[in-house]
Amino acid sequence: MNTVNAEWIKLRTLRSTWWTMGIAVLVALVLTALGAGAVISRWDPGQAPGQAAMGIVVAVYVGVILAQLPLGMLGVMTISGEHASGMIDTTHVATPAKSRVLLAKAVVLAGFAIIGSLFIAVPGYLYGRAVAAEFNPSALPADAWPVIGGGTLMIVVTTLLGLALGALLRNGAAAMAALMAIVLLLPFVARMLPWGDWANVLLPTYPALQLIEQVPDIMPTWVAFTVLGGWAVVPLIIAALVGRR
Amino acid sequence: MWKTPFGPIVERVIEVNGLTRRFKRTLAVDDLSFEVASGRVTGFLGPNGAGKTTTMRLILGLDRPTAGQATLGGRPYRSLRRPLTHVGALLDATAVHGGRRAEQHLRWLASSNGLSARRIGGLLELVGLGEAGGKRISGFSLGMKQRLGIAAALLGDPATLLLDEPVNGLDPEGIRWTRQLLRSLAAEGRTVLVSSHLMSEMALTADHLVVIGRGRLLADAPISELVRPGTSLEDVFMELVSEGAR
Ligand SMILES: Nc1ncnc2c1ncn2[C@@H]1O[C@H](COP(=O)(O)OP(=O)(O)O)[C@@H](O)[C@H]1O
Ligand SMILES: [Mg+2]
Repeated sequence: MNTVNAEWIKLRTLRSTWWTMGIAVLVALVLTALGAGAVISRWDPGQAPGQAAMGIVVAVYVGVILAQLPLGMLGVMTISGEHASGMIDTTHVATPAKSRVLLAKAVVLAGFAIIGSLFIAVPGYLYGRAVAAEFNPSALPADAWPVIGGGTLMIVVTTLLGLALGALLRNGAAAMAALMAIVLLLPFVARMLPWGDWANVLLPTYPALQLIEQVPDIMPTWVAFTVLGGWAVVPLIIAALVGRR
Repeated sequence: MWKTPFGPIVERVIEVNGLTRRFKRTLAVDDLSFEVASGRVTGFLGPNGAGKTTTMRLILGLDRPTAGQATLGGRPYRSLRRPLTHVGALLDATAVHGGRRAEQHLRWLASSNGLSARRIGGLLELVGLGEAGGKRISGFSLGMKQRLGIAAALLGDPATLLLDEPVNGLDPEGIRWTRQLLRSLAAEGRTVLVSSHLMSEMALTADHLVVIGRGRLLADAPISELVRPGTSLEDVFMELVSEGAR
């Protein structure tokens, strides 16, 4: 708990944290509002209240995952910044268990990413309901939860993957490049390959897009959640094991 | 156990035993053994590249030895719980994030070991950063960063202090201040190990010297024993280092 407290103080006492978060939330909110407005304007007037509520949630979580790269960058910087300044030594003198430090950083970043996603999702959802008022959207339907869970998980995963890559590579620019390759570039390349579907199942982006209903289903929902979650957990475990040496 | 002997009892607190660290081609620390007692300032002396920083990093568990071990009160550093309450360390004073305020830097550090933040204000006063505590570290001079590093080392009121070249880059006033602080900490019964490549500085600060060259132990003796009538400590140092080089 002490380590988590210390990492939370570290995170919140840097202005760059708030700049990154502020810009990520603001940009995502604007795009969510524009996206939701555009989608709703194309709805057929016979849209049922349940479908309307679902449509708003989907539009909102497309917006939420737009904030993933700035948050991934925050994940990277949280550790690469300490390597760059040399302050990592002070951290390890204070807390010799390196894996505990990494876990504490992960807990703090995950919480931060979830709160960030809510700062986009809640206003976005309320805005969507206001714009779609004529369709009388219902309360949250049951099938909205995988969308909410998947979108939130994606933003947490990208943040923690950034942390793991920063811990492994230590260099901020290299870790950021690796993060973008995994999240953006490889899924794009995979689409053009004959065995692309398999690559898509194994990379984090397709499962996330499937959960927020942006692409056709190619795997069961539980597989999508497992693969996506694995991209947060496995790289962190590898980083912790490599850091032990 | 070893936190208590505040007082005149001289106890071996830091024990370095056959410590060796090889980096690819360089043998930075070579079968080094020495002990550091409480209640006095022990100077850890050697020319640049002698292996002082590497030894301190090994003691603090920041690096793993190729052979041998270093213990504090009989235990390896990594096994200490809330280590800042046992050991205070200053390695590289510039290794801090410039974006934080001095007081914020001390706050996360205190929190990491479950220490109250109440001491922070007093410590900043003690090291002469009372005014600068709310300022961002990026605006600090090297001397101010050294003072912040000393405040960080004292945060947990530790019985043992390890300081790597704490007066490097300080002005004469800062050097004098550091010297007096180290002497008073030792007088309280604490164990103080302070490294330097400057013999003249150690002559004024330390009671006991551990001299190394090329990673090997050259001398381990009270200052009074090292200086013979008619020779300066500087001469003794040069003699030791040139002998060690052979
Ligand atoms: N991480 C490292 N990798 C390779 N060589 C190193 C490393 N750290 C120190 N050295 C080498 O070990 C020797 C001792 O260095 P150091 O402990 O910094 O000496 P001092 O602090 O006494 O000046 C030097 O030759 C230095 O170049
Ligand atoms: Mg050094």
